[in-house]
Parts: sequence; C-alpha cells; structure tokens
Amino acid sequence: MAETNSIRVRLVTPEHVFIDGTADSVSLPSRSGYLEVLYAHAPLLAELGAGEVTLHGGNVGDQQFFVAWGFVEVLPDRVTILAESAVRPNQIDVEEARQELEQGHKMWNEAGDESRRYAEANQVIHEAEERIAAAEGAGPTA
Amino acid sequence: MANVLDLRRRIRSVKNTRQITKAMKMVSAAKLRRAQERAFAARPYAKMLASVLDSLVRRVDPYDPETGEVRHPLLAVRPEKRVTVVVVTGDKGFAGAFNTNVLKAAHRFLNQRSDVDIDLEIVGRKGRDVMRRSFTTAAVMDDEQMAHEMRLRERKARIEITGEHAGMLEKLSFEEAAHLAHQLVERYSIQQTHAVYLVFNEFQSVIAQRVLVERILPIKEIGKDDIAAATEMEREEREAMAKAARSSGVSLETEDTREADEEASKFGTAQVDYIYEQPPRQLLQALLPRYISMQLYHAMLESVAAEHAARMMAMDAATQNASEMIDAYTLKMNRVRQAAITKEIIEIVSGAAAL
Repeated sequence: MAETNSIRVRLVTPEHVFIDGTADSVSLPSRSGYLEVLYAHAPLLAELGAGEVTLHGGNVGDQQFFVAWGFVEVLPDRVTILAESAVRPNQIDVEEARQELEQGHKMWNEAGDESRRYAEANQVIHEAEERIAAAEGAGPTA
Repeated sequence: MANVLDLRRRIRSVKNTRQITKAMKMVSAAKLRRAQERAFAARPYAKMLASVLDSLVRRVDPYDPETGEVRHPLLAVRPEKRVTVVVVTGDKGFAGAFNTNVLKAAHRFLNQRSDVDIDLEIVGRKGRDVMRRSFTTAAVMDDEQMAHEMRLRERKARIEITGEHAGMLEKLSFEEAAHLAHQLVERYSIQQTHAVYLVFNEFQSVIAQRVLVERILPIKEIGKDDIAAATEMEREEREAMAKAARSSGVSLETEDTREADEEASKFGTAQVDYIYEQPPRQLLQALLPRYISMQLYHAMLESVAAEHAARMMAMDAATQNASEMIDAYTLKMNRVRQAAITKEIIEIVSGAAAL
C-alpha cells in the first residue's frame, strides 16, 4: 500500500491526556471482549472493561497500556479512549493488585444474596486479575 | 519613648517576617501554576465525557414514553427533604478569606434550608475544624448496610456531619474524588438523600473566581452547571489579586483552551450512526456516575488552585504591610536617634556655657 492508513489515537484520563499519536491498529478491551480497530472502522461507541490497550505501528511504535474502565469512541480515522486510569504494564504494582484480588474474593464471599454486590465483587476481581495478567505479560524485558 | 535599640530590634523582626511572607508568596505562586496546569490537563476528559453523555441522553430518551418514569435513578428529581452538602475548603490557613468565604456560603445555604435535614460532607481540614464546632457527627452506618436494610439512618440532629475528608486535597487524585462521588451516588440512588449540593471556590482564572453552590445531583442538564448561589469577587479583591499575580510572575491570561475544547466536544457527537457495543441505556448507566465523579474532581482541582491564589494574594498583602511597617519604624528610629543627639549637644553646649 502506498499510503499508510494510520489512525489517530488518543488516550485521555481524568488527570491528563495520556497519549496523542497515530497507530496502524489498536486493540481494546471492551466490556464484552477485546476488539481490534483498523483504519476505516465503522463508527462505534463502547464501554471499556479492564484490560490492555495495544497500539501497533504508527509514530509511537508498539505500545501497551493497562486501562481500567472507561469509554471508547471509534471513528474511521481516529480512536479516542476515555479511561478512568491508565498505566504502562511495567508500572503496575503486582503486590497491590494481589491484595485487591483477595479483597474482591472476600467481597464475593460476603455478598450474600444480593446481585448488585456480586456484580461489584466481580468487577473488582476482574480488574485485579487483568492487572496481574498485564503486569506478568509485560515481564522484566518490557 | 522607645529607645533606638528597641526600635532596631523591632525592625529586624519585621524584616524576618517579611522574608517569610515573601517566600510563602513565591511558593504559592509556583503551586498555583502547577494547580492551573492540572486543572487544564483535566479539561479534555471532562469535556469529552460531557459531550458523549449529552449525545447519549438525546439518543436514549431518559423518560419512559409509556409510564413517564425516569430510566436512570440519577436523573430522577425528587422533593428535597434530605439533602447532602459537600463543602470544599482548604487544608491550611494563611489564605486570607478563602476558607471563610466558602464556609460563609455554606452557612448561608444551611440557613436558607432550615426546613430540611442536611448531611454534611466536608473536604479540607479547615472546614472540618469549623463545622465540628457547630454540628454533631452522624452515627456511622455502613452505606451498604443501609442499602441492604432499606431504612434511614437515625438522626441526632437536623444537621449532621456524615464525612470528613481532611488532607485529601494535598495530593489530590481522581481515585479519591471518585470514591467520595461513589458514596454520594450510592446514597442518592437508595434515596438516603434527595439532592447533593457542592459548595466550592470556582477558579476560572486568577482574577475570575467565585464561591459557588452548585447542585450536582440529580443531574438536570448535562454540561450545564446548576448553580444555586454564587458570590463573585469584589473589585478590590480582583485588583489585589492581579497585582499579586503580576509581582510573582503568574500570567493573568488563561491559556487558550477554545481549540482543545472544541476538539473535545466533538467526542461521541459525530454526525454518523454509531454502532453501540452495549445498549445505549447500559452505556448511559455506566456513564452517569462517572460524570458525577468528574464534576467532584474538577471542583476540587479548582478549589486547590483558588486556595493557592488566595494564599498568594494574602502573602503579597502581608509582605507589603511589613514593608510599610519597616518604613514607619525606620523613620521613627531616626527621629529618636536625632532627638537623642540634639539632646546631648544641648547638654554639652549648655554645660560649656555654664563654665
């Protein structure tokens, strides 16, 4: 292909604009599973779950970030990610994540018969598990 | 009459004080600049969240067409019988009337609403100290437990303090603000409270600030502030602030955010049919609590910036007062010294004449 079909990617957190760059493709953890976005993707709005955002190619090179809960807007030529928190995988505190996981399990056990509290506990567990997975995936070389 | 030595000591002491106030002013100016940057950096997210919410609300009719009921609890307007007031003050003093102004606005609000039960959530050490003197602390009851039992907390008094958050602003993080917002949302959705008001110092720029009483729950209109009361800055105050800012190198102009704002407000509002990964209603449900978190976080950021600006101004005034005092004492000291010399000469001369 003569021209590079790159998309503009922005990752915005409440504290600041985390990334503003381009990439050839982006994979995102939507609430209902990972999705991959290429140039000319159909317009889409989705809620993000906890997981890794990966940018391939583009001016920023391959990059990975761990995001927890947010929102994404996909337009044919750009992707905007609103994330409540975003960190690079090698900056994740695994110890803290493990504690969170434990806390989540505790919440789950204590939830009794209320579905809302189960959902909350599941959210905590899911986030902690993803966090640990992302940190371990990154490894010392990343 | 004071002697020269006393005056000299006095001058030295005032000079030392001036040094300190000057240093505090410069520190506040630096902190103000940083706080401004943080508030500025937080804008895109806030704008984007508001615009996507706005477009969602328009697409998903928040009212049920058949029953006319509101589809999301955070949009439901109820008669206000129990309200929660979040008061954002500073952690430290030496900031002129900053804390007083916020507390005054809060008290005015409390007096106006003399017919309803009020829960207070206080952010900042200064506010806590003052409020503790006038109001009792509520019996602690777990929010979850309340939700579970679906009953109201027993009240000891009409106005109670339900939460104190001292030291939160020192190292303000979104997470902490979101945590508080989460509690508020929870209380609102189980109808423990019927409205949530925010009393804080809004910071538009160094010379444009005001104390606001804003209703954040129920959400009435997205992207628009639901302001219940506002106290603008006095003209004198504004001039003093401008002077303090100039002398400590803080620019008065706000950074040009128009372009960035415009860009951000396009988020989620493009003229295309979006594919919604989740049903729009579900998206709305996930977004509304986040909107509250963002509003609270933003108010805190602005309050921090305003606090530093107020401190900078107070310290500028203090430095100036110290300078004036030094001048006055120096003049007095010289007069006393001269008087002493004259007296001595007269004594010598008259002594010589008597010979």
